[in-house]
Amino acid sequence: MKKSILQLSMMALLAVFTVNVVSAQQPHVYINPGHGGYDSDDRNMVIYPFTQGDSAGSWESKSNLRKGLALKEILEKKGYKTSISRVTNTTADDLALSTIVALCNQSGADVFYSVHSNATGTSAVNNFPMVFYRGYTGSPQVANADVLAADLEPYLYASQSTVWTHNYQIWGDWSFRPEWGTQGYGVLRGNHAVANLSEGSFHDYIPEAYRLLSPYYCWMEGWNISLGADKYFNRLDNFGQGVVTGNVRDDRIKRLQENPQPFIVYGDDNLMPVHDATVRLLDAGGNEVQRCVTDTLRNGIYVFKYVNPGTYTVEVSSPKHFTQTAQVTVSANAPTYQNFFLKRVRDTPPVVVDYSPVWHEGDPAVKCSTPIVLTFNWDMDDETTCNAFRLDPPVEGTFEWQDSYYRLVFTPIDAFDVNTLYTLTLDKSAEHGGGTPMDEDFVMQFYTQKRNHLEELAVFPYEGAPVHYKTPTVELRVDSMLDTYNLFQRLRVLDSEGTELAWNKRNIKYNKKGDDYGYIRVPLVKDIEPGKQYHLILDADIADTAGIHLPAARDIVFQGVDAGADKPGMAVVEEFELAADFYAGTHSTVSTSTERLFGNKSLQVDYRLEYSWDGWETIIQPAGSPPAIDVAYAPGDTLGVHVWGDLSYNDLYVVIRLEHTGGEVWYKLGTIDFHGWRYLSVPLNTLPDDEDVIRFGGFIVMEGDRSFSINGTIRFDNLLRAESSGIDEARLANMQLTVNDDYIVVSADTWVQGLELLDINGRNVKAAGGNCLNVADVESGIYLVRVHINGRTTTQKVAIK
Amino acid sequence: MKRMMFVMLAALLMLPAVAQEVEVTSRQRLLEGVEGPAYYPVLNSAGDRLLFSSEEGALKLHDFADGVTTVVTRDYVAGRDACFGRDGKVFFVTQRVGEDHLVYRTGQCYDASTRKADVVTPTRHGAMRAVPAEQGDAAWTEGSRVHVTVGGEERVFSPVDSWAGYLWASLSPDGQRVAFFAAGKGIVVIDLRGQVVAMLGNYEMPCWYNNNYIVAQNAKDDGHQFTSSQLLLLKADGTWQTELTKPASMTMQPTCGGGKIVYTTIDGLLYEMKINIYE
Repeated sequence: MKKSILQLSMMALLAVFTVNVVSAQQPHVYINPGHGGYDSDDRNMVIYPFTQGDSAGSWESKSNLRKGLALKEILEKKGYKTSISRVTNTTADDLALSTIVALCNQSGADVFYSVHSNATGTSAVNNFPMVFYRGYTGSPQVANADVLAADLEPYLYASQSTVWTHNYQIWGDWSFRPEWGTQGYGVLRGNHAVANLSEGSFHDYIPEAYRLLSPYYCWMEGWNISLGADKYFNRLDNFGQGVVTGNVRDDRIKRLQENPQPFIVYGDDNLMPVHDATVRLLDAGGNEVQRCVTDTLRNGIYVFKYVNPGTYTVEVSSPKHFTQTAQVTVSANAPTYQNFFLKRVRDTPPVVVDYSPVWHEGDPAVKCSTPIVLTFNWDMDDETTCNAFRLDPPVEGTFEWQDSYYRLVFTPIDAFDVNTLYTLTLDKSAEHGGGTPMDEDFVMQFYTQKRNHLEELAVFPYEGAPVHYKTPTVELRVDSMLDTYNLFQRLRVLDSEGTELAWNKRNIKYNKKGDDYGYIRVPLVKDIEPGKQYHLILDADIADTAGIHLPAARDIVFQGVDAGADKPGMAVVEEFELAADFYAGTHSTVSTSTERLFGNKSLQVDYRLEYSWDGWETIIQPAGSPPAIDVAYAPGDTLGVHVWGDLSYNDLYVVIRLEHTGGEVWYKLGTIDFHGWRYLSVPLNTLPDDEDVIRFGGFIVMEGDRSFSINGTIRFDNLLRAESSGIDEARLANMQLTVNDDYIVVSADTWVQGLELLDINGRNVKAAGGNCLNVADVESGIYLVRVHINGRTTTQKVAIK
Repeated sequence: MKRMMFVMLAALLMLPAVAQEVEVTSRQRLLEGVEGPAYYPVLNSAGDRLLFSSEEGALKLHDFADGVTTVVTRDYVAGRDACFGRDGKVFFVTQRVGEDHLVYRTGQCYDASTRKADVVTPTRHGAMRAVPAEQGDAAWTEGSRVHVTVGGEERVFSPVDSWAGYLWASLSPDGQRVAFFAAGKGIVVIDLRGQVVAMLGNYEMPCWYNNNYIVAQNAKDDGHQFTSSQLLLLKADGTWQTELTKPASMTMQPTCGGGKIVYTTIDGLLYEMKINIYE
């Protein structure tokens, strides 16, 4: 290389041009091994057995440097001039990007390679080569940077030592990172050389992270980049030696996933790399040309560098495997890939060394969901082993191999039958991976328990349930503790078009230790629509912690409703806004809640049922004497109330006090078999004949036939009253009541005995015999008219103007 | 108590600033609405003319006196490392990629009075850079060497170890010292005998504000792109330094001349800053 400093006439120009001349046709490559220093701008992949920050582990700076130094060595061997931004891996030589660019520019290099590996930075796992140049894709800012990239990528992608998930990609950095505008990658910015930033592979694909620990593998990436440079400078024919490289893996044993978290593997990366395998390159005469030993870092990589063209034999031997050979042909300036899949030496017949369930006569019965597990001394052959598996009585099930064919798991598709003695015979025809069968049959027995399916205790929504539209809650209760792992994914709510509605996972509740039953309770994120139909899907694989699952999947259809919708003919008689207006039993508390349908509050009662002659109950009644809430009804009226339930399956009654007798009547409003708001109503009939003034006396919560707990929460909003007309139509079908300016007139097809005018609180205002009542002297307002007709009474609301 | 502790601590921290203070008297955008993104600004020693590179790499010359901006060349790389010579001449390098994919460079000189550029160093393959020598003397780097020419005599020094090399050498206005950047070491100030006068810290792109002060860039990156870039004022003897822009800013590529500091930002906005130094 000829080098000189040329000073031009300073007196004439008063400036200096420094000129560093290289030989006319010698390309100059500037190499930038990316990152550096095991520090904050480095990339550390934590892979077993290394811990976070261990410099012996996987660092992008380390593999980048190995690639870069290899590239420098190879290019110089090929006659290039090289410069490199670092040769060690310290923070001090982790130069600023602007410094690297300036150094490259000062060097006068023709091309610049910044050598990196990639990471998705997300849960996605990919592995493919990418290269960037400055500018928009197809429009590089420095001419030919796209050509340099296009010449490089096929050589990287040709590697058969890795497992690619996608084809290579070439990008202009401004197109790839539009959010960065035209800033782009720092080492390409302002770089005068024809520059590429090469992401050779993805180091967050864990098998690739192990490969990048191999100096051989890094060297090969340097080799492949050199081929890209050769192609670009039309120098492919200038170098007379090739390389042989590849991967040594076991042909059956699965890769041990010892990383802190199991990791994703693709293709041949499912197979375990072979450690300490001796790989020899033999010439035609059987003479050893080169020797290489695979490391113990789970990559199985070998390489033979600078091999003269010709035909060779590659021989791989390992203490635990049969020796394998392959003939390869080496070409000048080209890689030869040869991967090996070694067969293990299995020198004894297979036997079952462990099994489950272990059961003997007199032992407790085995759960019906228990899988059968057979563990062998060798990795077994899938086909002959599964064919040798016989269960009596037969059960349909699935086979799963674990631990690289050392362990076979049989799981019944449904469950084993209850109270049944099963006999498993593994016929001696079962073979290990080397083809040797067992010496004798293996036989085991077990007896099953009396329960083989999960029992559904309650579900909401149930079939046909009206469900208040506001972020409804779904709950499933079963007879044992549910296995909660990903349980919410086994329940789905679909709208009528099959679109799945999202769960509010932050508010999901599961059974916990000590609960009386298993459950999952989860609200939807969004409201449903009143009037529309929905489906609650329960998967059959919803199971308890013992693996006992539901007998079948369920498709439950329910209806969206608005529990607070207008009820024609119903009047609001109490709004439940004040907690002080009510009291409940000793072990219950009354408060108000903002979980409401109307107004500002609802009435909330957190109760604990107490034992009485009638059973377990709590009474919620108007406070004070006289009661703070005094609402009159008339026999035949309908009482309605909005109730917020907690799926307690306790029963709810309304108490009606009888004015004349001083007694009370309970009307059952319903069972709390729902979550959220629901409108409950009951006609107040079947009263004693002489009771014509009745009053709301509160509620009673009582343990029902299917109650889950004596504790619970219930809320009430807007108590309603509907006049009896239209309710007791059979008895009073032909009665008509009209109000003119002065009279209330009742006509009927039978004798009307008399009329009473009551104020809204049930107090008597005026009365008259017969079918007419003069109201000319009555103040305007809303009143109740009690009609005595045909030996019965009925009450209607009237407005007197 | 806590408040008193804080006051005392603050007082202690202020002590160095009592001895020396810098006031930024003005900071204004240059060529706003006139030019697009501009990079690699270079002021002449008088501070009345400015070279810069456009986004596309064209080399432009701005004259503060008449406000006129002239395109010197549209060659992509010419806008970087261009410099001034005597009599308004501008020296720059152009490059082209040959059919053999080698890069060929040509040294050129632009005369603002005639608006013409002439080739002064013929096209050749290899490194070529223009070096400022406005007053006749010059300093430049190559590899891990700094070259200094004073009165026609060239001296070559390697005062500190730096495997990757030296960059950004410049003579002080009085021609008595040279500041340069040594990769892995930072800014080094030497005298004309090659003796190290001061190591100013691991900053980049030093430029002499006057004979005693240097403006430099403190850029950080994540290995892929810049994360911050701050401008600092450093006393050339290494005894003092202060911030000219905030640590989290993206201010870069400072140049000094005629008492001005001009710099750009990551998105190519040119600024002119003036300061007063109280000693």
